[in-house]
Amino acid sequence: MKLLLVTSCDPWTRSVSTIHHYVAAGRALGHDVALYGPPNADLPGLPTTTDLDGVDLALFVIQVPGDFPQMPHLARLIDTIPREKRAVVDLWGRYNETIFIEHDFNHLEKLDSHPGWEWEEALRAASGTILQPTLSPLRPDVGSFLFHAFAPDAVVQPETSAEKAAARWCDSERWFGVAYVGSNWQRWEQVRDFFKAHAPVRKEVGWAGLIGWDWKERPEWAIQQGIVGIDTDPELLLSMDVTVKGGVRFDEIFRYLNQSKFAPVFHRPLFRHLNFVTGRSFETFHADTVPLLMLPRSFVEAIYGPAALALVPGEDIAGYLTKALKEPEPIWNAVIKTRAHLAAHHSYARRFEELAALAARRAR
Amino acid sequence: MNILFVMKHRGNAGNTHAVADYMRVAPKFGHHVAIFGPTLPWLPEINFSDQVRGFDKAVYLFESEIYRLSPVRETMLIGGIARKDRMILDMDGMYNPVVCLDGYDRNHDTEEERAAWIEHYHALADRVHKPTLAPPATPRDVPLTFYGYDPALETDPKTAPEKIYDILHVGHNWWRGRDIENILLPVVDKNRRKIGRICFIGLWWDKAPTEPGSGNPLAFAFGSEAFRRLDIETRDSVMYDKVVHAMSQARINIFTQRPVLHHLRHLTLKYFEIFYADTIPLLVLDADHAADVYGPAARELILSAERAEERIMDALARPERYREIVQDVRRHLAKHHGYELRMQELAAALKN
Repeated sequence: MKLLLVTSCDPWTRSVSTIHHYVAAGRALGHDVALYGPPNADLPGLPTTTDLDGVDLALFVIQVPGDFPQMPHLARLIDTIPREKRAVVDLWGRYNETIFIEHDFNHLEKLDSHPGWEWEEALRAASGTILQPTLSPLRPDVGSFLFHAFAPDAVVQPETSAEKAAARWCDSERWFGVAYVGSNWQRWEQVRDFFKAHAPVRKEVGWAGLIGWDWKERPEWAIQQGIVGIDTDPELLLSMDVTVKGGVRFDEIFRYLNQSKFAPVFHRPLFRHLNFVTGRSFETFHADTVPLLMLPRSFVEAIYGPAALALVPGEDIAGYLTKALKEPEPIWNAVIKTRAHLAAHHSYARRFEELAALAARRAR
Repeated sequence: MNILFVMKHRGNAGNTHAVADYMRVAPKFGHHVAIFGPTLPWLPEINFSDQVRGFDKAVYLFESEIYRLSPVRETMLIGGIARKDRMILDMDGMYNPVVCLDGYDRNHDTEEERAAWIEHYHALADRVHKPTLAPPATPRDVPLTFYGYDPALETDPKTAPEKIYDILHVGHNWWRGRDIENILLPVVDKNRRKIGRICFIGLWWDKAPTEPGSGNPLAFAFGSEAFRRLDIETRDSVMYDKVVHAMSQARINIFTQRPVLHHLRHLTLKYFEIFYADTIPLLVLDADHAADVYGPAARELILSAERAEERIMDALARPERYREIVQDVRRHLAKHHGYELRMQELAAALKN
């Protein structure tokens, strides 16, 4: 299959890691995958193309306005690739009624100048097939396609024995007891509550790390535009001895995740509401760490399988962390089983099968 | 036919006014015309729409910069209106080889800049329409006069405003400074005491813009000191619907066109608009070109460097004679350049 990914790619944010996995997995599986557009100077290893001959599927991967191509590439793409060979995966839930949940949102005109109806019109203009990264889209005319996936080959320290994994994990020296790698976008309350729960046991569990953009202070642009949800409290973080570091490139994330015993997975309120997955939903299981799924249990079971429920700390986070350190085997057993579940159900190979089936259906 | 113009709209520029004229005429032919974008309360007569689905044709009107939209809106348009239903109007001669006249006015600064335009146009549509009298240079070129004349908009002298100026020039200083310095100012210099108030309405006559990205500084180059010395007034630009009234405040209006468009034989709205005003238009144009547009009578309105003094002083001295010439030109314009005809030409071009 010749798969064209139509999106912007920034080494610091959004779906850059997943895009790289599509390229690598596609190559391994005999597919031809490239990002549409001119070469990306920040990502010289990422194959790009403007050759539209023989494209089986052009997949628009949409999060922000800049994910749609600029002219003249946009017109060339839309005028050359037939509509039935185009699909949209709407990663931020733009193709919905406007949703405000807590401080989060799927449309905010003052932020990007686009009301909800413009997003809908643009997505519909790009393709008749709109997909969202959830098992249960809200709208009947939206298909389910999780897009993000698990790459068994990318697991930093593949394990088959919970006993050995637990022993190695306990013996390893790490910078952090808990570390969250992700930028400050709509997740402050979850991050704050997690570190508050961790703080009393930090000497026992290990120090906390918070790595990502805008955790050191609320950014000026958010203050100027009155955007809530990009909050932080540097004094509180300092009082809890949380090490705060700026954003890292997608290919440096594991440097930090691997240096932490535990790594929480948070989803912003909008994504929790829509039951969306993100790149990090799967990628955290690539790291040499214990992922902590700070997510609803029903969602965890549906995506990660039943074994992953053991990775949901529940209300007593401090108790969970200290117990996991004392009895790590069941936890690592859950990690290993969950990785196997993800490999079976959510691999990139699986995603390619889903895309190929989609392309075949659309071609008929 | 529902026609959506995609363009940078400015209330003080000619093309917005021209499209407004099409909006007025279109319903007579069962068409509807709007400009892409949200409604603007300060332009109540202009139809705006952002509902792409309500339109079956898109006319991309370009001036001297590539008009870009947010990619979200661009996708609404490109995905919503098929290539065969898109038209390009190249108003400022960008779809041409690089033309540079005497190191002064030019359509592009570099070949690279031109290449970006060509790439943009070719991606957007199959043909490029130009408001020119010149024959097409390539198979993609299609002449389309576009601008028109509506006799109903002629100013009745009985209701015209009082003449407070002898000479007026309405238009921005965008590549027009050299014509003014070479043709008008020597006459004024020699005859200042014999001429009443003189005024330039428009941007950048008293100073060049300072905003970054304003364009080639040569476009605004002008010795504004001469204006102070010769007691020539300047006023800010006026909105499109006040242009004719402003022109009617003067006995003579000087018509200039930026040299590169003159060279390419492009027409502009001002060619026609100036004849709505209750004034004597004196035209800084090639005489044959003017005759092609306005008919033979227009040769009597030409302002050339060689005969500028004679023409201006004669027009001030014998206004009745010049009014008759203006009436001849108006009749020619009504016959050959009516908006009804233009609307049909536009619709036919879109159908093709």
